[in-house]
Amino acid sequence: MNQRLSQLWGRDGTKSVLASLISILIGMAVGGVIILIVGLANSTLGLNSAWEGIRLAFLGLFSTGRDASGALTFGFNPVNIGDMLFRATPLILTGLSVAVAFKTGLFNIGAPGQYLMGTAVTLMLALGIPSETVPPALIWLIAFLGGTLAGALWGCIPGLVKAFLNINEVLACIMTNWIAANLVTWVFDGSDFRNLVENTKSGYIYKTSFNNVETAKLGLDQIFPNSQVNGGIVVAIVIAILVWILMSKTTLGYQLKACGANRHAARYAGIADKRNIVLSMAIAGGLSGAGAALYYLSGNTEFFWSTYQTLPAIGFNGIPVALLAASNPIAVVFTGCFMSMLDIVGQQITNLTAYNEYITDVIIATIVYLSAFSLVIKMLLSGRKKRRAAAEEEENGELPGDGEETVSFGQDGEPAVLPGASEAEPAQGPEESAPSPEESSPGDEGEQPGKGGEKA
Amino acid sequence: MEPENIIEMLHITKEFPGIIANDDITLQLRRGEIHALLGENGAGKSTLMSVLFGLYQPEAGEIRKNGQVVKINSPNDATALGIGMVHQHFKLVDVFTVLDNIILGAETVKLGFLQKKEARRRVEELSQRYGLKVDLDAKVEDITVGMQQRVEILKMLYRDNEILIFDEPTAVLTPQEIDELMDTMREFAKEGKSILFISHKLNEIMAVADRVTVLRKGKCIGTVETKNTDKQSLSNMMVGRPVQLEVVKEKAKPGEAVLQVDGLCVHSRTHKRDAVHDVSFQVRAGEIVCVAGIDGNGQSELVYGLTGLEKCAAGSVTLCGHDISHASIRQRGEDMSHIPEDRHKHGLVLDFTLEQNMVLQRFREPQFQHLGFIRKNAVRQYAEKLIRQYDVRSGQGPVTVARSMSGGNQQKAIIAREVDRDKPLIVAVQPTRGLDVGAIEYIHKQLVAERDRGKAVLLISLELDEVMSLSDRILVMYEGEIVAELDPAATDVQELGLYMAGAKRMAKEGEGA
Repeated sequence: MNQRLSQLWGRDGTKSVLASLISILIGMAVGGVIILIVGLANSTLGLNSAWEGIRLAFLGLFSTGRDASGALTFGFNPVNIGDMLFRATPLILTGLSVAVAFKTGLFNIGAPGQYLMGTAVTLMLALGIPSETVPPALIWLIAFLGGTLAGALWGCIPGLVKAFLNINEVLACIMTNWIAANLVTWVFDGSDFRNLVENTKSGYIYKTSFNNVETAKLGLDQIFPNSQVNGGIVVAIVIAILVWILMSKTTLGYQLKACGANRHAARYAGIADKRNIVLSMAIAGGLSGAGAALYYLSGNTEFFWSTYQTLPAIGFNGIPVALLAASNPIAVVFTGCFMSMLDIVGQQITNLTAYNEYITDVIIATIVYLSAFSLVIKMLLSGRKKRRAAAEEEENGELPGDGEETVSFGQDGEPAVLPGASEAEPAQGPEESAPSPEESSPGDEGEQPGKGGEKA
Repeated sequence: MEPENIIEMLHITKEFPGIIANDDITLQLRRGEIHALLGENGAGKSTLMSVLFGLYQPEAGEIRKNGQVVKINSPNDATALGIGMVHQHFKLVDVFTVLDNIILGAETVKLGFLQKKEARRRVEELSQRYGLKVDLDAKVEDITVGMQQRVEILKMLYRDNEILIFDEPTAVLTPQEIDELMDTMREFAKEGKSILFISHKLNEIMAVADRVTVLRKGKCIGTVETKNTDKQSLSNMMVGRPVQLEVVKEKAKPGEAVLQVDGLCVHSRTHKRDAVHDVSFQVRAGEIVCVAGIDGNGQSELVYGLTGLEKCAAGSVTLCGHDISHASIRQRGEDMSHIPEDRHKHGLVLDFTLEQNMVLQRFREPQFQHLGFIRKNAVRQYAEKLIRQYDVRSGQGPVTVARSMSGGNQQKAIIAREVDRDKPLIVAVQPTRGLDVGAIEYIHKQLVAERDRGKAVLLISLELDEVMSLSDRILVMYEGEIVAELDPAATDVQELGLYMAGAKRMAKEGEGA
């Protein structure tokens, strides 16, 4: 049992999960402190409100409002959980987008642009294809695939520029983000999809339900009544599993990762490095595009088309989602949900307490910011693990590959092989443990590969 | 009267998680001597020096300078005690000039402004006095490795260090630069500076050192005077068993030509002239052909041209009867193994595990994948087989991350992978660079064994000993051209050196020379 525990502890995945959990906790704790400070500093809030705010920050997902006496009540809240799943859907996909790029050595900061292009194409197709003649389900599929493809093509651009001109993908991504933002505004400015009927909602594109296109609920509305949840979350989870299989089980994933980890070595081994870089970015872009498609095909979301001033936050939020998940596609599902939960929590705090919505945003931003420290935490954990492993190894004594030589190490070294060593001081024989094998000496050779790598 | 020993490291023990890197090591450095520290990779040499330089704190033992116990907590303490170190990987700021690098950390300032004039005068004086030629205004990234090392040495001199540590200083130098360095070290010793010289190259130690302390697996095996010992007994002490320094091999029985190169030209990345110009030769089955030459004379580019890492500008390359001049790297890999020059850049994906690295080229083969899905068990078994067969040592076997392995074992892993691919041609570029005697012996045996199995081996080496002992034919490259073809039995190092330096040149014998 103990052994199994230590095995579990030794696994890299365990450390990643633990690191993320710890950083989330730290983030939440600091968020709590900020709530407290703001509460105490503000005469309308006070300690009581601060305590309510902190409780909501941690348990907002299960908040059910206030009871007759004005106290906060908590319990199963299907609306909150359903909304969380709904909002998590695009976040999971942009998170996957960033995670795939990370795994292949690229930083996809272009997710907002890819997301926008996906949005535009999805809406055009979903609203443009007449539902009188084409079955809505088919339109849904076409729009979804179209949005995904648009994101993929948009992702290709930084990929191509990186592969063939060796221009940093971060630069190209930022540029393509703004090109996308302006392009989308321009395209919709002259389109027929503007919702000019409801004058109270100027600047919005029709919901796709206007054309009878919306994502199937798949019975989720039974479990979470009155919430916005739909089958999109199921699609997102399936995509996450597919991405995980792609990255860890297939030769394609192996090639992509090889190119990302060492482009030169991949090329040396006959792997088409340029093709794989473009492909990585295309997959990443496709995932962002799919996220946009799932969000806007829900049927109850409206798109504000004047994006030339702002990029969609969902695209950028993919970065902390991926970081928090240590780029593991399956973990992205959970971290995506966590991030959307914070959204819900913020809503609850704004609705139920006197905290204003902007300070709520500050708190959430703090939590997100500190949550992304999981890599640092993981490093600290690894340090601890190494020390523990070392202690174990010493107890077990035997190290592989050293067996025979250990035997020959007597109390006075090896005089037999010391010809000419007249001044030799007898090497003191170790009593308890085997001598170090050459491969694990951290001082001598251990640091060499790392530096060599950096140099290359 | 000052004590005889300027530095004494007494009973030093330094532990790292899982291993004892230094186990009760005593090292005494006399004033004005060159003291070599010899040991295999991972024997604890660099650790011991890092302890002396204040980078690590020992668990036990003490350091004395001139008989006084001193505590060295950081490199700053070491510098204050007059200890200077040239690291194996230079610690220079690439974008700074040579002068800036030398004075960095020891700047003369007046009211917060650098006083470079004074510094320049001192550095120039030092550089002249010891014949250490450097260009003070060049940026470090633009100068040769040899000059970078001279910058490191000047750094120590500028700080008036009297104890100089050289950590494997010759690994990156050409034979000429090595000779110069040796002269400089002797000069220092003559002036009363004390030198600690870390190396695993026996020739150099025998040539320059007064005494040698041998470490093996973290323990001190003994200290001997070089004049009372020889290479063979030193290497036995170092490895712990008798080592064959000479390569034993039968006479080659060459067969059909496997690789035929005609008029090959490869463009240079750095300058306008071709890096490889009009090179023609062939390698036959069952022979080891060695390309000798001073580093930077087009050997690397020749290999890039052959393996497809760089485009062939002109000429043709024929491998096993197929013209591969314009084939992709993958197509060329069908008949060619390549042990690359730079194991970190090309040879391994350092962040991959050992098993993932073992199938870097072969993952597409049906035995390792099915419908695009990797057969994990097959890969694991294959990696385990290679690890056993080629004795690749690593912490966790197939799942060890390549980055955490020692240089020698990384190289062994590459050799295992490339030899096991079982291709008619093996291109081996400096396969033993930076390795210790035991590993070199092993790799040489492997290459000879492959030759005897009927493989064609093209070896590119900068080590003259290796060239002379391993090859069946020697091609000498100078400024991108092959200037001589020699029979190792009928030539000697001196003649080879003349061709390598471009002082001598054979007339071209027409095709296939």
